[in-house]
Amino acid sequence: MATFIPRGHQHPLTHMIAEINQIFAEIGFVFAEGPEAELELYNFDRLNIKKDHPARDMQDTFWLRPADVTEPTVLRTHTSPVQVRYMESHPLPIRMICPGKVFRNEATDATHEAQFYQLEGMYIDRGVHMGQLKGTIEYFFSKFFSGEVEVRFRPSYFPFVEPGVEVDMMLKGGASKLANRWIEVMGAGMIHPNVLRGSGIDTSDFSGFAFGVGIDRLAVMKYGIDDIRHLYSGDARFVSQF
Amino acid sequence: MVQKYSYNWLCDYLGENAPTPEVIADLLTAHAFEVEGIDEHDSDTIFELKILPDRGSDCLSHRGIAREIATLTGVPLAVDPLHIPVTISATDLIQVQIADVTLSPRFTASLIRGVKVDESPEWLKTRLAAIGTRSINNIVDATNYVMYAMGQPLHAYDAVKFPQVNGVWQFVVRPAEAGETVSLLAEGGKDEDRIVTLRGGELLIVDGSANVPIGLAGVKGGRFAGVTTETTDIIIEAAHFDAGLTRRTARGLGIVIDASKRFENEPARALPPLSQQMITDLIIKIAGGTTLGMIDVYPVPKVPPVVSVEVRAVNARLGIELSTEVMVDILTRVGVTVEMMGDTLSCTGPLERTDLNIPEDFIEEIGRVYGYQHVVSVVPETVPLSEYNVRHVYSEQIRAVLVAAGFTEIITTSFRNQDEIGLQSSLASDKCFLRSELSSGLGDALSKNAPFTDLLGVADTKLFEIGTVFTRESGTVVEHVSLVVGVRLRTTGYSGKEDASLTLVCNLLEAELGIPFDWVLKAGVAECSVSTLLATLPVPTAYAVVPKAKETIYKAFSVYPSVSRDIALWVQEGTEVSAVEEIIRFAAGPLMVRLTHLDTFTKDGRTSLAFRLVFQSSDRTLVDFEVNGFMESINSIVAEKGWIVR
Repeated sequence: MATFIPRGHQHPLTHMIAEINQIFAEIGFVFAEGPEAELELYNFDRLNIKKDHPARDMQDTFWLRPADVTEPTVLRTHTSPVQVRYMESHPLPIRMICPGKVFRNEATDATHEAQFYQLEGMYIDRGVHMGQLKGTIEYFFSKFFSGEVEVRFRPSYFPFVEPGVEVDMMLKGGASKLANRWIEVMGAGMIHPNVLRGSGIDTSDFSGFAFGVGIDRLAVMKYGIDDIRHLYSGDARFVSQF
Repeated sequence: MVQKYSYNWLCDYLGENAPTPEVIADLLTAHAFEVEGIDEHDSDTIFELKILPDRGSDCLSHRGIAREIATLTGVPLAVDPLHIPVTISATDLIQVQIADVTLSPRFTASLIRGVKVDESPEWLKTRLAAIGTRSINNIVDATNYVMYAMGQPLHAYDAVKFPQVNGVWQFVVRPAEAGETVSLLAEGGKDEDRIVTLRGGELLIVDGSANVPIGLAGVKGGRFAGVTTETTDIIIEAAHFDAGLTRRTARGLGIVIDASKRFENEPARALPPLSQQMITDLIIKIAGGTTLGMIDVYPVPKVPPVVSVEVRAVNARLGIELSTEVMVDILTRVGVTVEMMGDTLSCTGPLERTDLNIPEDFIEEIGRVYGYQHVVSVVPETVPLSEYNVRHVYSEQIRAVLVAAGFTEIITTSFRNQDEIGLQSSLASDKCFLRSELSSGLGDALSKNAPFTDLLGVADTKLFEIGTVFTRESGTVVEHVSLVVGVRLRTTGYSGKEDASLTLVCNLLEAELGIPFDWVLKAGVAECSVSTLLATLPVPTAYAVVPKAKETIYKAFSVYPSVSRDIALWVQEGTEVSAVEEIIRFAAGPLMVRLTHLDTFTKDGRTSLAFRLVFQSSDRTLVDFEVNGFMESINSIVAEKGWIVR
C-alpha cells in the first residue's frame, strides 16, 4: 500500500464562513461572536421584540430550564444578540459580521433544521444610509457567488430595524441555475433607534444598517444541496463531496 | 399572517378605475406586501397577502388593502367606509362596566330590534365564500363581513335571551378569578363546547345580571344568548382589548382565530363605532329591524402622536435625494397630516395607522412608496480591520492541519436526549438537553461512517468537529468551544489500534500550534477545549488566505449499502494501470461507483495489479449474486485480453 495520505475534507459551512469573513474583512468588517445560550434580554427585549408582540411568532424558541440558569435564557434564535453585545462593548464607528449557529424549536424537514447557521452584519457610523446597505450586500454577493450581483429591496418588517426590507438578489449572466432571476435571500434594514439607544448610541448623530441571511440557504444556493439536514448529519458521504 | 382578499370586494372601495389584479399584485409586491397567491375564483380574483406584523392593525381588512392601493396609485378611494358618519344615537338600555380601562380601552354595544334571521343574500354569501368563510345566517355573516371589511371583530347576542336588570342589559369586563370557568363555543370540527378553567387574570366578558362569564374577551365567545332563527332582537358588541393579554390568553389555550389575531395587532381605536354604523346599516338592509341606539364607553381617548421628521434625516437614512415637496406629497397620499415647521415635517398618521409613531416609521413610508429601486448602491470605503477573531484564526489552523492529515470535518447536533443542561418544551425527545461534550457525537459518527471507507476510497475513517459545548458551573451555563478528533479502523467498532494514529495527529497539532493540548483520549476519540488553548495562544495579526472552494455541485448519494470486491490480475510488464482500469470500468457496468488501485508488483516479467471495486445502487440494496454476475463478466473480459486473474 502507498503511504500517501489522501486529504480529508473541510465542512462546507465552515469553509463558507471563512470565505465570508475574508470578503468582509477586506472592507473592515470584524468577525464577532457571542454565546449560543443567550439571555432572553439580548435575544428579544434589547432587539425591540417586546413580550407578547406578534413578532415573537416569527420564531419558535428553545428555553433553558429555569433550574440551570439564573436569568431567563434561550438558545439564540438569531445572531442579532451578538450585535447588541458588540454595540455595548465597542466604540463607534462599528463594522462587524457575526456568523454563527442559531436554533429554532420547530419540526425538521428538507428546508428546516432545529439548528442552522446564520450570517448577520452591521455598520454604524455617522450618516449610514440604505444605499450603503445595498452596496455592501451587492459587494458581498458578487464576491461570494463570483459574478455580478444586483439586489433589490422590498418592504418588510423586523422589530429591530426601521425601515425593514426583504432583499432579493440576481446573479447577472452565466449559466448557473441561480443566474438571471430574482431570488429572495435575506432580511435587512436600518437599525431601529430603540436598539441603538438601548446600547447607549446617540441616534441624533449615528445611524446604522443590519442584515441577516441563512448560511445554510447560501449553501443550498451555491452547491445545490437538496436537504439541509445533510449539513448536520455527520455523514462523510456528504462532506467528502466538498 | 397570510390573509385572503377578494378583488371584487376591494373594487367596492376602489371604484370603477381600480387597477387590474396584475397591477395590484405588482404594486403591493414592490411597495407593501408579499403576494403569496393570486387565483381566479368565480369571476373574482383572490389574493393571498402576507401581512407584516406592523400592518396587522390596518391591513387585515379589505378597506385597509384598498387604502394601501389608493396610496400607491395616488387615486383616492371612491368609497371609504372609515369616513362614514356615525348616526346611531346613544342609548341607556345597555350599561357597560369596565374594571380596568387599560385592558379594555373602548367598548361599544348597540341594539337592533325586529330583525328576521334568515339566509344571507347571494352577494354576501359570495363575498364571504371568496375568502373561504362559510355562510351561517344573515346576522353572523354580517359580523364576519364587517370584520373582513374593517378589521374590527364583532359579536352578536340574542337580546331576548340576555337577562336584563330593571330593563337594562349589563356588560361587565373584568379579569378572571383563578379557577373561574367559562364555556366557549365548539371549535371547528368539534361538537362539544369547551369548558375552560382559567388561571386568573384573563379578561372576561360577563353578564352583569348574574356575574356569569359569557366569553373570553377578544379570544372566543360562548353559547350564551346565541343568535338562532328565532332571534328577533340583537345586541352587537364591538370592543377593544389589550393586545398582549389577548395574545397570551389565546396562545395559552391554543385558540388562534381571525378575531384574536386582529386584537393582537391593536386595531385603531376609531373602529368600534364606525363598525357599529356599518353593521347596523347592513343588518337593517338584509334582515330588517331598527336601531335603538348604542353605548360607547371610551373614557381615555387615544391621541395620535405628532411626530417631527427632519427633512434632512429622510434623505440621510434612505440614501436618496428627495425634495420636501415629494416627501409631503407621498405622506399626504398615505393619509398623513403634514405641517411644515422650518426644516421639519410635523406628521400625524391617519386614524387607522397605529404603527406610525417615530420619525423612522414615516421615513419608511416615504421610502417604500417612492420606491426602493431608487436607492443607489454605495460600497462603504475600505478601512483596516480593528481586530481579528482569535477563535476563527486558530480553528482554521487546526482544520488545515487535520484536513491535510486525512481528517474530514463534520458538524453534528448540539442536542442530546440526556445531559447536564436541559431545555423546556422541546418538540422532539432527542432535543431535550444540550451537549456537554463532542466525543459521544463523534463516536456515533465514526460508527456510522466506518462502512463507507471503500465507497469513499479511504483506508480508514478519520473525523473531527469543532463546536460549542454547554456545562453548568456555579449555578449557570458556561459555554466552551471544543475540538474532537477520532479514528476508526474497522466497521466492527473500536479495535484498540486507533489510539496510536490518533496520538500521532494530536502531537502534530501540538507541534503546529506550539503548545500542549489538554486531551481526553478514550476509545479512538480525543477531545480538548479550544477555549482553554486560546487563552495562551498569541493574539493573531492576520487571517490566513482562504483557498478558493472548488466548484462543487452536490450530488445526492445513495442511501443503500455498497458492496466491495477485490481483484488482482497478472498483466504483461509495462501495461498501463489506466488501460486496465478502463477495461474494468467498461466490464463492470454502471453500478460500480468506485475503482481503487490497491497495489502493484512485478515478478518474472509479469506485473500484478490489485484493485478494489465498489458497487452500489441508488434504488435498492445489491445482493451477492448480482455482484457475482458483474465480477464474472469482468473475469471473462479480462481473460479475452490475456490477463490472468490471480
